[in-house]
Amino acid sequence: MEEINSLMQGFSVALTYHNLLFMLVGILLGVLIGVLPGLGGANGVAILLPLTFTMPPTSAIIMLSCIYWGALFGGAITSILFNIPGEPWSVATTFDGHPMAKAGRAGEALTAAFTSSFIGALIAVIMITFLAPLVAKFSLKFGPPEFFAVQLLTFCSFVGLGKGHPAKTITAMMLGFALAAVGLDTVTGTLRMTFGTSELLRGFDF
Amino acid sequence: MPDNGSAGDDNQRGVSTKAVEIVVAAAILMLGLVVMADSHRVGAGWASDGPQAGYFPFYIGLILCGASAWTLWRALFAGQDITGVFVSREKLRLVLSVFIPSMIYVAATYFIGIYVASALFIGAFMYWHGRFPWTKIIPVSLLVPVAVFLLFEVWFLVPLPKGPLETLIGY
Repeated sequence: MEEINSLMQGFSVALTYHNLLFMLVGILLGVLIGVLPGLGGANGVAILLPLTFTMPPTSAIIMLSCIYWGALFGGAITSILFNIPGEPWSVATTFDGHPMAKAGRAGEALTAAFTSSFIGALIAVIMITFLAPLVAKFSLKFGPPEFFAVQLLTFCSFVGLGKGHPAKTITAMMLGFALAAVGLDTVTGTLRMTFGTSELLRGFDF
Repeated sequence: MPDNGSAGDDNQRGVSTKAVEIVVAAAILMLGLVVMADSHRVGAGWASDGPQAGYFPFYIGLILCGASAWTLWRALFAGQDITGVFVSREKLRLVLSVFIPSMIYVAATYFIGIYVASALFIGAFMYWHGRFPWTKIIPVSLLVPVAVFLLFEVWFLVPLPKGPLETLIGY
């Protein structure tokens, strides 16, 4: 498999001394950023991008991706200790982590969070490396009927798995669709529901 | 008719959940009718090369009307299990004490520009909610919009809505 050759070549570049140092710096910075609520991995990478202007590109990418991974773990630290999720996806860590910290088992919670993140990330990276070409070949067969089927499944599952009354779920969904339909129609070029105002030409974009 | 008082488990006076559901369902029903009317104006049928522009929004509006009519019917006639107070009177008063000044601020921005409206808004909030002394209100509410004006109009050259005061000084 030529992926193993590429991997070995990549490892030989990544495991040099200065790249390892950049990894250390990146993870430290990343944990610092992840601990701050509101400043997540993506924002942190964007803010610390100027640090990499004088570095060789491979080292720059290594440091930026380590900042991102560090931020993922930093979010878990505040979730467990302060019940404040540092990242949007650390919210689930607050459900079990903070009660464990209040019961005095904070070290256990942090270790569990780190270990599970590590194993999950390792499996995900291995899967992406080896399965990505196969998934790419399969996704090329997706046409408009398949896209429609996926979206129909999504919206039906909203109604089926929602807690409230289905009428309210459907109302909310249709409200979202109606807001998305405002503006210039990309297929025919007519203006829908702008009622003469020019600010709504682009529609609502949030 | 829904009762607008002490319904439900808590004994506070406030707006009942049933009333809120009826009002919101009626409002969204109106919105759905607007969507359907405008889609009909654009053309909600099938042209020679596919659906017209209003085809999908028309059915979106139709389903929106149907779902909100269902909610309205349920709240009016079959809502024995919709009980309780949606928001109590004190909490509603607190929310409205921020919401209504904000609406006035947005409306005033249209007429007198965002900088003057911000000065009034900051001053009003510092006086009503913060209860600061006037020696703190006047400097903050005047200097912050001036600083924002310099930042946006002079340095970043980003135009924000302005009013008659700014045209007097030449912007």
